[in-house]
Amino acid sequence: MSKDVVTVDSLVKQYGQLMAVDGISFQVYEGEVFAFLGPNGAGKTTTVEILECIRPLTSGTAHVLGYDVTRNEDVKEIKKRIGVLPQEFCALDKLTVKENIALIGDMYAKHLDIAEVIKLLDLEDKTNEKFENLSGGLKQRVGVAAALVSDPQLIFLDEPTTGLDPKARRDVWAVIANLKKLGKTVFLTTHYMEEAQTLADRVAIINKGKIAVIGSPQELISQYGGLKVLKICGGDKKLAGLLQKKYDKVALNGNGDVLVKIDDVDEFWRVMTTLTDIKVGKDIEIQTPTIEDVFLKITGARITEEGELK
Amino acid sequence: MKALTIFKAVTKNWMRSRSGLFFSILFPVLLLIVFGSIFSGIGGSSQYRLFIQNFDLNTANGELSDLSKAFIQALNSTEAFGITDIPAGENATEYAREVLGPLGGNMRILQISEGFQGDLLNGTLKVRIGIIYDTIQYFEPYLTSEQKMAVMQGLTQIQQFNASIPDAKASLMIMLDPADQSAAMVKSIVMSVANAFNYELIGAENVVEFNETSVTTKRYSNVDFYIPGITAAFIMTNGIIALTATTTEFKRRGIIKRLSITPLTKLDWIIGNVLSQTLLNLLLTGIMIALGWVIFNVRVIPDVLSIVLILLGSIMFSGIGMTLSGFIKDVEAASAIGNAIAFPMMFLSGTYFPLEIMPSYVQAISKALPLTYFSEGLKHAMIYQNPEGVYLNMAIVAVLAVVFIIIGSLVTRWKEK
Ligand SMILES: Nc1ncnc2c1ncn2[C@@H]1O[C@H](COP(=O)(O)OP(=O)(O)OP(=O)(O)O)[C@@H](O)[C@H]1O
Ligand SMILES: [Mg+2]
Repeated sequence: MSKDVVTVDSLVKQYGQLMAVDGISFQVYEGEVFAFLGPNGAGKTTTVEILECIRPLTSGTAHVLGYDVTRNEDVKEIKKRIGVLPQEFCALDKLTVKENIALIGDMYAKHLDIAEVIKLLDLEDKTNEKFENLSGGLKQRVGVAAALVSDPQLIFLDEPTTGLDPKARRDVWAVIANLKKLGKTVFLTTHYMEEAQTLADRVAIINKGKIAVIGSPQELISQYGGLKVLKICGGDKKLAGLLQKKYDKVALNGNGDVLVKIDDVDEFWRVMTTLTDIKVGKDIEIQTPTIEDVFLKITGARITEEGELK
Repeated sequence: MKALTIFKAVTKNWMRSRSGLFFSILFPVLLLIVFGSIFSGIGGSSQYRLFIQNFDLNTANGELSDLSKAFIQALNSTEAFGITDIPAGENATEYAREVLGPLGGNMRILQISEGFQGDLLNGTLKVRIGIIYDTIQYFEPYLTSEQKMAVMQGLTQIQQFNASIPDAKASLMIMLDPADQSAAMVKSIVMSVANAFNYELIGAENVVEFNETSVTTKRYSNVDFYIPGITAAFIMTNGIIALTATTTEFKRRGIIKRLSITPLTKLDWIIGNVLSQTLLNLLLTGIMIALGWVIFNVRVIPDVLSIVLILLGSIMFSGIGMTLSGFIKDVEAASAIGNAIAFPMMFLSGTYFPLEIMPSYVQAISKALPLTYFSEGLKHAMIYQNPEGVYLNMAIVAVLAVVFIIIGSLVTRWKEK
């Protein structure tokens, strides 16, 4: 197993009665993209900011790059070595893209060439544009650039795509995928299922201050995602009734599609044979479960676009 | 080093903000122009307006006596006065009031009594000056102890003189307004002219030349007082309104948080901001002085003391601004609270109106306001060139600067809760 970059053990953060983080333990491994997936108020930012050494913890331990976040001398070392995109990142409005990135860079003993970072994030056209004139997606990219400029080993990205339109979101995803190629360790938080599934090597599902499960998207899906589903588009009650006689898990969805859950390849072929026998000439799709199904299974809820539990 | 980076960044950010520039530089400039123009007449010279009513007529032909005319000539040649004659038959104060109009400025009337020439020709130092004048206490704080001594001595001498010639009337009478900030100056110039006149007539040798006397007498106008006053007031608003608002804004938008995640320390952040405020305030001072020079023909020369004072004032008001923003969450509240503190302070600290003409309870309040000491100190440093008047004020400002910068640093949060 690779080296731990972040090690958290029984971490608790309490605000009065509220357990914002309720005894979580996990590791982040070197070179991976690790995602915290959870709804609003789950405790994502709280955890991340404890690791960034800007929030004190209530109990438990947290180590970043081998340093203890509660020791003052260690905090200095951690701050030198991490890059951060805070939630709702903002920079100085009247400064340009270049000036803002350089400002963050100058806070470190040494930093990457600003022009190179700008190029890496494809911000060359906007180099001398004032921050206030940028679109949301471009602002996020400046934020990622600022997180990268000190050439950190570990990068925290707190909800990097929240509030972005789908195009801008995909652009940021490309940037994050690129970070992994550069050998960085990335700790990402999100409430977008697709984001976690697409980008993360491992996902921790966090809800109400507790981590429900941790694993690679594939592991989680195969363990919790449930069965694949065969969808017979535009089927009808008659067909559903017919299939129900032979198979247990048949349902009709709102669009009038017949859904049949299948356990394995054998079952798939049996269903297909049945369909051929009764000469059903409909489109047939196979649906694989996603992280969303995992989330639903584990928490009993979905997350809306805005990040609320539903 | 990092403090310098922060200094550069926040200064640049401010310089590029139009509203920032307006409130920190343009607004005080406009205010100086407005105040300066109302109280001195734009483009007017820095001469003191003086009304002269001459009662000294030759008994022979009924014309004004030669010596009284020569005396007026001498006053004129000091270039310190803009002289307006009041005909002998008029009521002097009413006449002057009419000429001055409602906003016309201070009333200063010199009356040359009948017998002025006669007294002089008697070959004695009998020209006596009577002063309807009770501003000496009011002016006292502005004088150095030496000046005070001299004034007191002069007054005693005049009194003794008066006593030695019990029946004689004063041949020169000067009427001054107690609220007139330039009263003492006007009085001393008139006195020195009269003295020089006396000496010359009795043929005394090696007396200080009249012209030199007038040169050493610095001339002040209302604009002089507004330059340090308005400058001080806006150094105050730059800290209490502008810095409070921007810091609150930085805090709300997570800019301070973003910086706190880097190796930047809170101390460097604070130093950077204070430096930026200091530069802004020096810039403001420079512009105000230049403006006084160009528009009002007033030369205020800032010395080392003024610069040190501006530095201390910048620290003090930055400290107050940071302290305020430590307790305020949103930007609207920040500027509302900043305004609510800054504007009353501006008017209660004698910035625009001399404290001496304010009711005593206002004077008592002013003692509790940091701006009072800052603007008093700045007036002494920039206008009166009176170091002794600066030190105490400067010491108070320095202590407050330390106190507020400490509180400000304590309440500036470099960590979330
Ligand atoms: N300073 C604070 N004081 C009191 N409660 C807090 C504080 N900060 C966070 N909380 C509470 O702790 C819980 C976790 O908040 P946190 O910001 O970590 O959530 P999150 O997962 O980042 O959610 P989001 O998607 O909204 O960013 C929330 O219920 C929040 O209200
Ligand atoms: Mg959050």
